Amino acid sequence: MSTQTSSTIQFPYKRTLGPVISRFFSELTAQRIVGIRSGERVIVPPMEYDPETGNALEPDFVEVGPAGTVVSWTWVAEPGKHHPLDRPFAYALIKLDGADTNLLHALDAGSEDAVSTGMRVAPRWRDEPVGRIDDIVAFVPGETPEGPAAGEAQDVQTMDYFSTITYTDVLSPTLERYAASMRAGVITGQRCPQCNRVFLGRGYCSVDAITLGEEHEETLPDYGVVSNYTIVTPTPYPGQKETEPFARASVVLHGDEMVIAQQQIIGIPVSEIRVGMRVKAQWFADDARNAAEITSKGWGTVAGFIEGWLPTGEPDEPAEQYMNRVF
Amino acid sequence: MSNESNDRADTAIAIVSTAYLPAVRRNDVTETEMLIAVVDEALGKVGLKRSDIGFSCQGSCDYVSGGTFSFVPNLDAMGAWPPIHESHVEMDGAWAMYEAWVRMQHGDVEIAVALGSGKSSTGDPAEIYLNELDPYYLAPLGPDPVSLAALQARQLIESGKSTERELAEIAARSRRDAANNPKQQVRSAETDVDKLLAEPYLRNPLRKSDLPPISDGASCVVMATARKARELVSRPAWIAGIDHRSEVHNPALRDLTDSPSTRLAAEKAGGVEGVEVAELMAPFTAQEVVLRQALGLGDDVVVNPSGGALTGNPLMATGLVRIAEAAEQILSGGRNRTLAHATSGPLLQQNLVCILEGDN
Repeated sequence: MSTQTSSTIQFPYKRTLGPVISRFFSELTAQRIVGIRSGERVIVPPMEYDPETGNALEPDFVEVGPAGTVVSWTWVAEPGKHHPLDRPFAYALIKLDGADTNLLHALDAGSEDAVSTGMRVAPRWRDEPVGRIDDIVAFVPGETPEGPAAGEAQDVQTMDYFSTITYTDVLSPTLERYAASMRAGVITGQRCPQCNRVFLGRGYCSVDAITLGEEHEETLPDYGVVSNYTIVTPTPYPGQKETEPFARASVVLHGDEMVIAQQQIIGIPVSEIRVGMRVKAQWFADDARNAAEITSKGWGTVAGFIEGWLPTGEPDEPAEQYMNRVF
Repeated sequence: MSNESNDRADTAIAIVSTAYLPAVRRNDVTETEMLIAVVDEALGKVGLKRSDIGFSCQGSCDYVSGGTFSFVPNLDAMGAWPPIHESHVEMDGAWAMYEAWVRMQHGDVEIAVALGSGKSSTGDPAEIYLNELDPYYLAPLGPDPVSLAALQARQLIESGKSTERELAEIAARSRRDAANNPKQQVRSAETDVDKLLAEPYLRNPLRKSDLPPISDGASCVVMATARKARELVSRPAWIAGIDHRSEVHNPALRDLTDSPSTRLAAEKAGGVEGVEVAELMAPFTAQEVVLRQALGLGDDVVVNPSGGALTGNPLMATGLVRIAEAAEQILSGGRNRTLAHATSGPLLQQNLVCILEGDN
């Protein structure tokens, strides 16, 4: 049985547009399409630089279209979630009337049979324009644009773009065993036969680049010493859940050099955390443990299994012995 | 440049060893573990240790792997302690090799390693590839790579530069070649051209046979300066020239039936005259036609005897596989002059050409 974890990464971009794209998108909000002159040619969509020579272009805009001719096309029979239309449609390269280059866009033609190179198409405008390339919902067959009556042009300076990717990660054999051990409340490490260092859930030695397997695995203590820490005052950003100053500490497991970084010290105010402090893992309850944070993209982690580290109350280790290290 | 071995300057650089993993739909181990395996294999062939390596450069992509700074654990494949000289490009390993080659021009590195790795199995290419597109004019429209390739293929066909039959023939030839290469992924698929042409379109005019598989994989080449290269192997694959050129990003603004950047890169790398074998990174059948025509390769040039990217396409490793295969044609295949090509960006935006030569 393999363990799969699924994660979705979103990049919430807000992009500034610069003078040329800004003008193009502003015009779209008034249902006008503009290109930019480069010598005798009109480039659509407009660029700040000539695509062939790289020369900077003067802001010499010219209205084109709105109708145009299909230069190339393909048919998307089963649209996916990233496609602009939820019914079968075409992607097309369209040479708008008055333009010397092509524009890539969607073509809502109903059926594949209705699409051909050389066909005439016109834009279908979005009901409430926002100043994006998809203010043209799609092109449609014929000479006549579709949509509401054109309004005043808006001054568009930025655009939002949410990029979303979903990943499905299947754990490697080493990480699979590591996750099973963590579910059982036991930290397992792999010890390198060459350098004697121990690593959590990697499958290899990071120093000697030697593959490590099940035969190198051993149980590690779930207690150790704080070797370093930092107190973070959170600023709001997407994904930040903390609102009050919080600490992130490095914990060196007892008897080894294995450092578990970015750990939470619990049960005491952040101001009382000390280098040299002895701590013990506070495991999540059995049914709350999960391997969602373990992925094949990196190294083994205790996140999802260990909630944080509780001071044991024993005398500190001398702090000096942890001073010449980064973590 | 002459082929006479005694004409090779001491500063000449050669590929002395290569390795790549079989392209598979999903490799169970991590990207780092895949890299450890190819490094072990490539170094093992010529009896080198990691401590012999003066510089290494890796090519991989966080968007493909789905983790920020995912190249950091990948570095472990070289053994990063004591500190080593290394670099990374967010590109195919072919560009990592280019950087390593540039680094070797400095004259203080005798042996360098270039790596490429990617696990496409974790994500959906239709989502991932959007992130390489212009975020203003293209990405919001969601054009997946197969749709873009179909727009290119149609222009190629309708301009009279190719036919659907020729594309099917390329697919059939690639699959036949892949049947002889255990490292390729599509090895037992249909090879009858008429049957391929009878299959439905996936994105008109492209059929499934015109598309690459989704692959995990990793690749590695080892380079050495002249003296070391001659010590290590009897027949080094000398890098006669390597160059890469780029075009405007937006495919709608380009002539998609030509690849002037490939042509220019090949000229700068020494030209195609005398090339016996060309490994072209053409993940779509129509792109092989574009590249062959742009380079002016004659019918006597053997194209993609490995099976090509069409039958095994580990993102970020595929281009370096082409270089590895072209090098092996000299190292172990006895050829005298081969060409490797790698591409990056939508529809052949950026292209790298490497010309390799053997001693007669």
